[in-house]
Amino acid sequence: MNLQIEDLMDKAVKHALAVGAFFAEVKGEDTKTRSIEVVNNEVHTVSEARNIGLGVRVFYGKSNGFAFSSALDETSISKTVETAMKIARAATKKTLIKLKPAAVKTIQEKKLTNVSKHPGEVPLDEKKDLCLRQCKAAMETSKSIANASSMYGEYAGTIYHANSEGTKVSYEPLLVGLRIACVAKKGKTIVDARDAYCGSKGLTMFEEEEHTPERLGGNAAKWAVEKLDAKPATAGKFDALVDPHLAGTLAHESFGHLSEADFVAIGSSPLTGKIGQTLGTDIVTIIDEGLPEKGGYTVHFDDEGVPCSRVEILKRGVLNHYLQSRETAHALKMEPTGNARSQDYSFEPIVRMRNTYFGGGDWKPEEALKELKRGIYAIDTAGGQVQDTGTFLFKAVRGYWVENGELKYPLRDVALTGNILELLKNVEVVCSDLEISSSVFGGCGKMGQRALVGTGGPHIKIKDVLFGGAS
Amino acid sequence: MDELVEIGRKAVNHAQGLGLDEAEIFLYKENQTTVKFAGGIFASRGGAVKGLKRRFARIAEPWIKKKGLPVVTSGVRAGVGVRAVEKKAIGFTSVSSIEEKNVLEVVEQAAKIAKIRPPDPNWVSLPEAKKPLGAGGIFDERVQELDAEKMLGLCADCCAAVGDFDKRITQAAAMISASSVYLAVVNTNGLESYDRGTTFTVSVDAKAKSGNEDVGGYDILSTRSFTNDLNPLAVSVAKRTVECLGRRALSEKHVGKVVFENTSWNALFSVIFPHGISALNVQENRSIYKGNVGNQVSGENVSIVDDGTLPDGFGTAKIDDEGTPRQRTPIVENGVLANIIYDNYAAKREQRESTGNASRLGRTSPPYANQPAIKPSNLVLLPGKGDLDELLSQVKNGVLVKGSPIGALHSNVITGDFSVTADTAFKIEDGRIAHPLKACTVAGNLYGALKSIVAIGGDSKAIGNVVCPSLIVDGIVAST
Repeated sequence: MNLQIEDLMDKAVKHALAVGAFFAEVKGEDTKTRSIEVVNNEVHTVSEARNIGLGVRVFYGKSNGFAFSSALDETSISKTVETAMKIARAATKKTLIKLKPAAVKTIQEKKLTNVSKHPGEVPLDEKKDLCLRQCKAAMETSKSIANASSMYGEYAGTIYHANSEGTKVSYEPLLVGLRIACVAKKGKTIVDARDAYCGSKGLTMFEEEEHTPERLGGNAAKWAVEKLDAKPATAGKFDALVDPHLAGTLAHESFGHLSEADFVAIGSSPLTGKIGQTLGTDIVTIIDEGLPEKGGYTVHFDDEGVPCSRVEILKRGVLNHYLQSRETAHALKMEPTGNARSQDYSFEPIVRMRNTYFGGGDWKPEEALKELKRGIYAIDTAGGQVQDTGTFLFKAVRGYWVENGELKYPLRDVALTGNILELLKNVEVVCSDLEISSSVFGGCGKMGQRALVGTGGPHIKIKDVLFGGAS
Repeated sequence: MDELVEIGRKAVNHAQGLGLDEAEIFLYKENQTTVKFAGGIFASRGGAVKGLKRRFARIAEPWIKKKGLPVVTSGVRAGVGVRAVEKKAIGFTSVSSIEEKNVLEVVEQAAKIAKIRPPDPNWVSLPEAKKPLGAGGIFDERVQELDAEKMLGLCADCCAAVGDFDKRITQAAAMISASSVYLAVVNTNGLESYDRGTTFTVSVDAKAKSGNEDVGGYDILSTRSFTNDLNPLAVSVAKRTVECLGRRALSEKHVGKVVFENTSWNALFSVIFPHGISALNVQENRSIYKGNVGNQVSGENVSIVDDGTLPDGFGTAKIDDEGTPRQRTPIVENGVLANIIYDNYAAKREQRESTGNASRLGRTSPPYANQPAIKPSNLVLLPGKGDLDELLSQVKNGVLVKGSPIGALHSNVITGDFSVTADTAFKIEDGRIAHPLKACTVAGNLYGALKSIVAIGGDSKAIGNVVCPSLIVDGIVAST
């Protein structure tokens, strides 16, 4: 099967050149997503989805065209190449700036994934048990738990890339995780909380004390019960201590997206033209990379076949780099960084992040909390969004009202909002407890495409954050 | 169509050969073309990039018309999803292929899962064939025949029309997506149904600049058939963008009446309410509406229906995604929760009939890769009277939220709590718009808000499969 994919990719590239493209590239994919869901201690769903296909992008004239096919036979692939060419010929008439991939070194490389207890080698039963154990731990924590939904997720397979310059790479993506969501009820009050752990690792990751199914299930249940007595946050500006998960969302959503060079190339990012400028305090460093040491999602090559390099976007407060695809690098006369990614073979590569995180500092989290005189300790996140004006909003799913360094009472979901360029100037303390996490269940959405990413950071203290509360 | 049913039959036969109790094959094929066009980066208006300015300057006077950065993708997305059932244990598998060899292979894989996993005690059986089928088959040949060149032309014209409207507009971008879908469901209960449909979606956004102020605006059109005339949409986006210039902060936190434009209410309502009315969520203690059927859940002025037969509705079809006929189901009648919505699984658990609300739509994955879940067909909050201006005239002091606020997708669907940021919001004084507002946080609880709706407008707008009018809600917190 795989030989066949690589064979068809070669044929597609050749055919594209034969019908007039000056450059062509093909993404091939054969991946599987497996998931198990246990609700209230009963196995609900066990599923497996196989995704196979090819995506072809051809460059012609000033523009390009993209077409895809899940039918893997020679006729379908030729037709797909021709559709892409037809698009490119139409698009070139409407194109203002010549789109062309920046020059890169041609490479041929296969990266294999070797982990202990690769989920591909573990029977379904064992994965189901992880899921059941997590659910049981949550249900047993308290009588107030009305629902516990436990999920196991796994994504693995092979991604291929080939282009007309002779680059041929492949790697074996892997992301595995457990997630638990609990609903607690008391009278008419209904609240929820969750925990999760994912990584590009084998199933031994759930043998680590911090990440056993029992620990994750217990955490979610405990936090849900605690939220039964939580008060809504007050709206207004407060100092904030954010935990590593939330810091990660901040790094990714509010800053990372603005550093994506496709937004820069059309001038819609507020970071446009700001390389070399000081945007944050000198303790703020934000990094994006494919192979982080501290967890997250491992990605070796982007979907233009470029190795994922380590990019210090913001270095000690100064804007240092944008995240680039080969096209944006060409348009901006900069270097490609390996940030062109697509959801799967059926989407064109666009500029995406890999693992985006705040670099660590030297404070201890307890010390940072002590410094918080009156404000909010905001924890974990249900995600967030940013607009190209720099306005962001993200949700902390838990939190505490803090006075004089002491946690006073738990808060319900609380939204943090503001403008990232102002916020970076308000970062006062960066701790040393750097953590990077990822999720096989979610991911980042951009232009209708989902990408698996990692986010992270240490605890960070920021002054004057606008919280949108309901009281 | 025949091709899909034929493969479905073969797969069902194969499943029966494997000795399974039951099997269901969902087959899906979609021809899809999407054109994104970042057009009109209008250098002479101060909207361009420093680094690119020189390059634009040559061709940008008075502004770049009908050229930009196009991204076009096209392809056929085809696949099958298989449910195999053995002694109440269900295995689900899918593959992005309708080739016989691959289809038969996933049938075997589903069977394997079903044979080793523990049973689901709540499983009864797959759906039976039912008649009559819903009113479906909204298929516009013009959508199917659209090609990239024509769509690019429409996008470029649309962006030019946005820029022509006002000199302060610095950028415009448009996206058109045309899709023709064919689907079939075949199962071991003799159910064999199929449908086809088209959708045509256009979204446009723009940016405007005046002095140091940058603002953005957005609007969307979603229909089942092709339309050539995108000028009204372009004008709407342009107006929505420039009317935000001159933004000021609120002098104090606002707690009280907030007017939600149809689009804004839709953003919150479409995310939160479907969770509450899903029978599965009710059965599993995840819904605030558990035990509330027959009870007052909103003001008497509110009526909501799930209508799978709505003319031109995005969710209108002959069948739902497990082959049950689509139907019309009253959800809230004058404030009373009349019904919740069911798929086959949740319905049989309560010995009742499915309401035809099985859906395989995923946020990013194609339908064949998802198992049926309970979702509205077309969720309609029935309109009242009057346009947005008439609603504003009823508010002495308040806030108007327009467009789609950021953060709606991250609302808490279980509790109904939302906290969003509206980049296009306005201060209302004495029944009229006083001035646009700086990014404004708007927080409340959707289930609570349904009880505090003061007035409902008559200006219903469909976005995807949710149709809402503009309305006024009391007790909402807004802050800038």
